[in-house]
Formats: sequence, C-alpha cells, structure tokens
Amino acid sequence: MITANLNYPTRTVLARRVLLTLLPTLALLARLASAAPLAPLKLPDFESLTGKATQSVNITLDSNLLGLAASFLDSDKPEDAAAKELIAGLQGVYVRSFTFDRDFAYSMTDVDAVRRQLVAPGWQRLVGVRSGKEKANVDIYISVDAGRANGLAIISSEPRQLTIVNIVGSIDLQKLHKLEGKFGIPKLQLEEGK
Amino acid sequence: MSNDLDNDLRAALRPVDPGERFTQSVLARVATESTRSARAPKLHTTTLRWTSVALAISLVMGIVVAHQWQVRRTQRGLEARQQLIQALQLTGEKLDLAYRVVNDEQPTQSAAEPGA
Repeated sequence: MITANLNYPTRTVLARRVLLTLLPTLALLARLASAAPLAPLKLPDFESLTGKATQSVNITLDSNLLGLAASFLDSDKPEDAAAKELIAGLQGVYVRSFTFDRDFAYSMTDVDAVRRQLVAPGWQRLVGVRSGKEKANVDIYISVDAGRANGLAIISSEPRQLTIVNIVGSIDLQKLHKLEGKFGIPKLQLEEGK
Repeated sequence: MSNDLDNDLRAALRPVDPGERFTQSVLARVATESTRSARAPKLHTTTLRWTSVALAISLVMGIVVAHQWQVRRTQRGLEARQQLIQALQLTGEKLDLAYRVVNDEQPTQSAAEPGA
C-alpha cells in the first residue's frame, strides 16, 4: 500500500530543489549530448496487469518507427515542428500504462523487474516524490554516460494508474515544455532553463 | 553462214519442256517459301503480343504492390505518430504530476515539520 510520506519532509524539500535545479541542467546536458547508445529497459509483458486493467497502453517506438512517425509530422504546424525537434535525438520511446477501475489493483512487485534495472552506475534516481494527498508516487531516473544524459525513465504509481516510461536518447525537457498545451500535453510547471 | 549460226542459236535456245519433275519441285518450293514467309510474321506478332501483355500485367502488379506498400507505410506512420503523441502526453502528465506533488506537499510538509 502506498502511504503518505509526511514523516520525511526534508525528502520532499530536497526533491523540489532537485527538480528545480537539476532538470534544467539535465536539459542542458541532454541538449549537448551526442549520447552513447543505451539499451532500452527490458519491460515485462505485464500480462497479469493487462488482464486486470480497464485500459492498457503499450507503446514501443524504436528508432525506425520514430523516424517514420517524424516523417508524418508536419513541419509547418508549430506543434508538429516542436515534437519533431524533441524526438530528433531519440532512439526509442517505450511506454506501458495501465488504468484500473479500482484503487491499487496492482502490486508494486509488478514493477520490481523494472526497478532492478534502474541502478547505479548506469542509472541515477533524479527525483522520487510521494504524495499523501494524491497517494501517488513518481520516480524519475536518468541514465548518464560520460557525464551526459542519454536516457530517461519514469515510474508513476497512482491509485488507479501505473505508468512506466522509458525514453532512450537525449531528451530535452525544455523542448517537452514547449509542447505544453499541445497534443493534450498538460501545462508543465517546469521553469525555463536559464 | 549467217543462217547456219542463226539456226544453231535458235535450236540451242528453243523452248524445252523441263519436265513434270522440275515443275513439281518448283511448285513445292514456292509453296514452302510462301508458308514460311506467312508463318514468321504471325509468330513474331504473337510473341510481341504476349510480351506486351506480360509487361502490362507486371506493370499493373508493380503499381498495385507499390500502392499497397505505400498504404501500409502510411498506416504505420500515422499509427506511430499517434503513439508518439500519446507517449509524449503520458510523459508530460507524469512530469507534471511530479511537480504538482512537490509543490502541493510543500506547505503541508512545512506545517507538519514542527510537530514531526
């Protein structure tokens, strides 16, 4: 069961500082990166979750499909152009998301196989937030090679939704920020990199 | 003298029946040649016609296959585009959730701190 982490206020404060200071740095690093190739995470098939979920999202876009998708983005449209720019440095995008009709229909052990791959030295946990109010946990990991970010992983567990995102390649979060409000992407609270 | 020569020439050049055998031979040869000359263009035309048909079929099949490939590629491309947008949406949502949680928890944390 996911519980509020109210007993560790410093952790949230630290997380906030990390978010506000490191993400622009990550964006800068990612922008500069000619990142070394990174293998995507080995995501389980999550058959048991697929059976329980009311909605499942299974997205696997390797570099070929990303290139194909990019060719169907219209550069004349600002939102498409921004998306095209964002995915220019990516080698893969992998998403598994499950939505359930009742709270905590899944177990965190379901994502243990993924978490076990997100370990140092290859991966670093950039942010780990625990919400008491929303009962949501979000962990953001980055993969760093030779001081350069070349991968991003997000594990988000909410009462009725479990989402795993793995982006391989140099993602620029500031460019993602530019997409806010487009394609239904929510307004991010990211601060512009300075 | 002149008359003798004339007579000799006339005798030598007089029409002589070549005989039935020669006639048959010539007629047979004429028949063969005419058949051959009539058959050759027909064969050529037939080959040309089939070649044209085969080429036309190949061309049509090539166009159909290319069209189907293009349709499949377009479908895959649009599907990939849709998936990409959905992936960006989910990524954006989760990053937003992280920020929201951090911002929302901040006052609660501060309030809870003295009692902690």
